Amino acid sequence: MATISLEGVTKAFKGKVAVDNIDLDAADGQFLIIVGPSGCGKTTTLRMLAGFEKPSRGVVRIGGRAVNDVPPKDRNVAMVFQNYALLPHLTVAKNLAFGMRIRHEPRKTIEREVTAIAEMLGIGSLLDRKPAELSGGERQRVALGRALLRKPNAFLLDEPLSNLDAALRAQMRFELKRIHAQFGVTTVYVTHDQVEAMTMADRIALMNHGHLQQVAPPETLYSEPSNSFVASFIGSPKINLVEAQVLRDTETTVISALSCKIPVNGDLGSTLRRMDGDSVVIGLRPEEIRPCAAGTDGLPVFQGLVELVEPLGSETHVAIRVGEQTLTCRFPPRSGLEAGATVNLQFDPQQMKVFDAESGTRLG
Amino acid sequence: MTAVAERPAAEAAAQVADKQRLKAGTIGWLLPAWALVTGLFLVPIGYAIYLGFTNLELLGPTAQHYNFTGLANLDRMVHDPVFWSSVKITLIFVVLSGIIAQTVLGLALALLGQRAHVTVRASVGSVVVLAWVLPEICVAFIWYAFSQSGGVLSTATGHPNDDLLSTVPLLIVCVANTWRGTAFSMLVLSAGLRNVPQEADEAAQLEGASYWKRLIRVTLPIMRPTLMINMLLITLGTISDFTLIFAMTQGGPGNQTAILPVYMYIEAFQFNALGYGTTIALGLMVIGAVLSIFYIRQLRPELRRASN
Amino acid sequence: MGTTPATDSPPGAGQPRLEADLPTSPGAGVRLWRASSHRFLPSLVMAVIGVAFLVPLGWLLLAAFNPHATSGMAAPTFSVTNFRAAFSAGAGRDIANSLYLAGVSTIVATVVSTLAGYVLSRHYLPLKGPVLVGVIFLTGLPIPLLLIPIYQMFVQVNWLNSPFYTSLVLAATSVPFAIWLLKNFVDQVPREFEEAAAVEGSGQMRILVRVVVPLIMPGILVSAILTFINSWGAFLIPLVLDSNPNDTPGAVGIYNFITANGQVQFGPLAAYGILFSLPVIILYIISSRWLSGGFSFAGGIKG
Repeated sequence: MATISLEGVTKAFKGKVAVDNIDLDAADGQFLIIVGPSGCGKTTTLRMLAGFEKPSRGVVRIGGRAVNDVPPKDRNVAMVFQNYALLPHLTVAKNLAFGMRIRHEPRKTIEREVTAIAEMLGIGSLLDRKPAELSGGERQRVALGRALLRKPNAFLLDEPLSNLDAALRAQMRFELKRIHAQFGVTTVYVTHDQVEAMTMADRIALMNHGHLQQVAPPETLYSEPSNSFVASFIGSPKINLVEAQVLRDTETTVISALSCKIPVNGDLGSTLRRMDGDSVVIGLRPEEIRPCAAGTDGLPVFQGLVELVEPLGSETHVAIRVGEQTLTCRFPPRSGLEAGATVNLQFDPQQMKVFDAESGTRLG
Repeated sequence: MTAVAERPAAEAAAQVADKQRLKAGTIGWLLPAWALVTGLFLVPIGYAIYLGFTNLELLGPTAQHYNFTGLANLDRMVHDPVFWSSVKITLIFVVLSGIIAQTVLGLALALLGQRAHVTVRASVGSVVVLAWVLPEICVAFIWYAFSQSGGVLSTATGHPNDDLLSTVPLLIVCVANTWRGTAFSMLVLSAGLRNVPQEADEAAQLEGASYWKRLIRVTLPIMRPTLMINMLLITLGTISDFTLIFAMTQGGPGNQTAILPVYMYIEAFQFNALGYGTTIALGLMVIGAVLSIFYIRQLRPELRRASN
Repeated sequence: MGTTPATDSPPGAGQPRLEADLPTSPGAGVRLWRASSHRFLPSLVMAVIGVAFLVPLGWLLLAAFNPHATSGMAAPTFSVTNFRAAFSAGAGRDIANSLYLAGVSTIVATVVSTLAGYVLSRHYLPLKGPVLVGVIFLTGLPIPLLLIPIYQMFVQVNWLNSPFYTSLVLAATSVPFAIWLLKNFVDQVPREFEEAAAVEGSGQMRILVRVVVPLIMPGILVSAILTFINSWGAFLIPLVLDSNPNDTPGAVGIYNFITANGQVQFGPLAAYGILFSLPVIILYIISSRWLSGGFSFAGGIKG
């Protein structure tokens, strides 16, 4: 069993709390990605899993066993470092074999497995080279091979793709997913790139300033963000966050935004009615705003001025100025819009997210 | 600086212009260094190669009128038991107190320093370096005193009435030299340790390697060039050391601690044989060169990679 | 499981918010005994080694102040008798001679090497590669080899028994390493600085002094300090080249003093040693504050 869990884990360095009371777990075989901006504590969290940092508070468990006091070499985890951490004085073959030789495995076994892994990763021809002679992608694969040969309880990967160019990165994302499907080892992967997170993860843990913002599968994070930080971190182009007012003077609660008045019912309505203050923030994803003709089918409509049109081929990103704010919208390829044109836009209030203006927490 | 001929034509043209611009005046600045090095290094070396084959003496008739004696000195040296004993003693001195003791102790201090408390590391480091900064004559005197009857070393090893410099002279001078010289290895190897990437060590930890395994299989191999350079420098420095041994034992008792520089001095300035003394010094140079070539060959893969 | 400070209880136990002044370094952990045990053993071993290294220095200090000093360790006393004895044996004069030798050789070596290092760095010489290799080779040459030929040369031009020419020899022994060191420092200075000054009309010497030298000052200081320390303790070269009893530098003076009277006078000799060592120790303390971190590559200090 190789589940992973962090219970109430906190890590403080002098004067700074890097990780603040997080509860996180990964089921056996799951691909968990910890994502967040630089300095959010994700690498520290990973290093606590590996054993290179000791939690200031809380318990780290691997396979159910508390490993706070277990040194890295006894945790049976494998790690792929951002800079690959290959031993520079050994050939690729010896790098791959390093762990097995430490564990005194028979030479035949070592040769067999090293060759097999090297073939599988496409580095079979590089076995006699030294790391200095390899490209970034090749070194990456040697590091992966070494981790795989460990047959670990868990894989830990620390931004393994960030030193690769874009094309290689896309290819490696695919390979990593394939390897994960094939070997089924519990994986904890750290990155700052939300695209990697969205495409590869079974579950995503989003962190900011040492706090866990939300832990959920990618689609949930996208469509049901728990606060405005999550909403704006996930998704590219970013979600549009617009200031809005709550008007309670009529029978139904109304949100006033983008010169529209949007009636709000149900739970959200009662929440808004009960809260202090009048300000909220609404979030609209770029694809949730559509151009329309004047006069519609009951959906809120507003006008805006086109500032910038970026055709991407399969879609077009348009920056539209509405009042004091600029919204980013995703339109179908041939939108026929030009900078300077006025355009009518509409959206579906059902898709709209409402956040508290102060805390960013999602209200509805 | 890479050879000019390898650069593309445009750069070469720019360099010619540079040459002419810089040439004005500054080449003369090389003159003092050139004079000093030529006059007090190169010329003496050449002169030494000549003198080594003469019968020059310090005093007496052959001080003024000396002759080239061909291979006579060389013949004498080859058949001189004291010379060969001196070679052996020199090698023991260098290998034991220099290469082994100083490197091991320096490495131990560097490794301990990595993990020890900051204050301990700083203060012990300072003490060790202080031993190195102390003038060599003082080092000689202190350890001379320690080895006398009643001295600290004699008492501590249970022979309070012995003059250790009579009973185990080579050992004592080795200890003294180790005490003095360890700081250099400690500093060089500390710097080398800092250059070992932390991630390589962490990766080895995750593979299950214990501290000693990591030291032997990861840290030391990565540090190999630093270790080789360190040993090369220790060898060259120790092989030509004069003051410590001469002040402690004058090469004695008998010739038991007469390393080559000391033997050279004795032959040249106590037995008047300047020519023969030079021959001995030439022998010293040859031994130093042989050892240097050995180290450089060990370093060759790193040197080749560095020049790529 | 031994002591369990409050900070390690499971979450939700209601303990106060974490203070930020926890052990600083990664891996040190919270439980203090654990943190210090990680550092305790290495610190202890290192401290033991340190004490072992300290003993000889301690003896020197104690013996210098002990009017009845012997070769063994004695209880600390305080008396300046030994120092008076040292001075009457000539310590003051010898140290002044050392000051001259070390001072002149340092100035000469540093100036000469700075000039040469600059040219070797900037100038395009046809044989520069071999010249540099030769310089490095010379740093490893055994000094005793030069001794007899220089002696013989000095006999013939009557340069023996001269502190000045002796200090030139000392300078020469330090020059190869100093050139190599300073050349590397000059290599690090971007040419643009000099070119900017040249455009403003500065001559080469002014460029060197006003632009380059300030930028390579750490290298100049390192080179000067190493040369000074080397020359201060010089023994063999002055012994051979200058037999005038008024010219003896400290090292030769101490050596003579050891064998001077019938019996070795440990106390006065220790005092003499302390006096002789003080200048270089002070120099080391000052310079190590300035150039923090020690030498990353110190090169050979010749015996």
